[in-house]
Amino acid sequence: MKYNRSSIDPSKKWSGPLREYDLVKEIVIAVVVVGFLALSLAALFSSPDEKALTMQSWATEAPADFVQTAAGELAGTTTSASYGPPYNTNGSGQNIGPVNLGKIAGVRIPIDPAKSFVIEPLSIEPDSVTKSAIATWGAASAKQEIEWASAYADALSKDGKALSIADPTGKFGPVPTLVTSLFSMAKSGALDGALTTSDTNLPTNFTKPLLFLADSGTYFPDKAAAQHLSGDQWGVMNETGSWPGQSWLWLYSLWYQIEPFKSSGNADILVMSLMGVLSLGLIFLPLLPIISRIPYWIPVHRLIWRKWYQRKS
Amino acid sequence: MLKIFSIDLNHPAHYLSFGPFSVSAGNLTIIISMAVLFLIALFLPFPNHEKTTDEKPKSQSAKAGGKK
Repeated sequence: MKYNRSSIDPSKKWSGPLREYDLVKEIVIAVVVVGFLALSLAALFSSPDEKALTMQSWATEAPADFVQTAAGELAGTTTSASYGPPYNTNGSGQNIGPVNLGKIAGVRIPIDPAKSFVIEPLSIEPDSVTKSAIATWGAASAKQEIEWASAYADALSKDGKALSIADPTGKFGPVPTLVTSLFSMAKSGALDGALTTSDTNLPTNFTKPLLFLADSGTYFPDKAAAQHLSGDQWGVMNETGSWPGQSWLWLYSLWYQIEPFKSSGNADILVMSLMGVLSLGLIFLPLLPIISRIPYWIPVHRLIWRKWYQRKS
Repeated sequence: MLKIFSIDLNHPAHYLSFGPFSVSAGNLTIIISMAVLFLIALFLPFPNHEKTTDEKPKSQSAKAGGKK
């Protein structure tokens, strides 16, 4: 039966069959059954308890990667150094057509990686050699700082395994001292505390350690890949270990696996916009010309209410 | 005590891949379970749901009468 929406009188009383429905009883049964299932499954399978990755674990497990990244932070060559809004103006952010949401929002969490990840944490170190290196760094021009740090970062990357490189000609300036001091600080665990409490006394803001960790060349990406958590591994819907993850995010994950999203520098904003359009389609489904006919082609509702339709026919 | 019955899932997951698609065994189990539950809910008769009647329930009739 096809109803013309405009011809339905909303004030007209329902004259069809009725049945009693004990909503409270069904809610109580549902809460008891779901509660029992949740508690039983939690007791049986427990939950993921993966240890957090820290500056200390990074410096201990992949020391060469740590010192190379720290030198890169000073040289301004890491991902966070060239990210753009909301951290700095060194990158353009993501566009969808002429719209750049990052630029519209602006720099809301200002972060200068050399200062935020290296110089500021080291400034609490009492060691006089470190203090002298910080003073030398601060007195140099920006061009000089980049020359020192870039030369040291290149030398470390070229070696691949070295934790420090000898500098008989002084071409690295104070950078080897800064990087070695930061490495010692990280190994002791002090860097984790320094990065989380540099803005407030409460260690609740993990923006800086997470950005620093994400700049890692191999440590962080390898850990993510081993747990199938990378974007190109459907990582959004996966969980650590063998626990099931967020399978309802499959459609978000799908776009990252296929072109043109897969190789696009604007993948995030493109995927979010596409999902927004699809969500609007779902909301306005009854008003969409072809889509609204799907229930007539695949009448699942007739299966659910089959007795009603049997009697009607 | 609970430890005896617990199942340790803290080990690398098994993944199934079909072209660009990849799904963990855990996620696939949940997805299949949801589909099975939906089919069960669709075809299994719900207890005490056979009471559909052409007559108004007593409470509704009384309420409707009261309003009149």
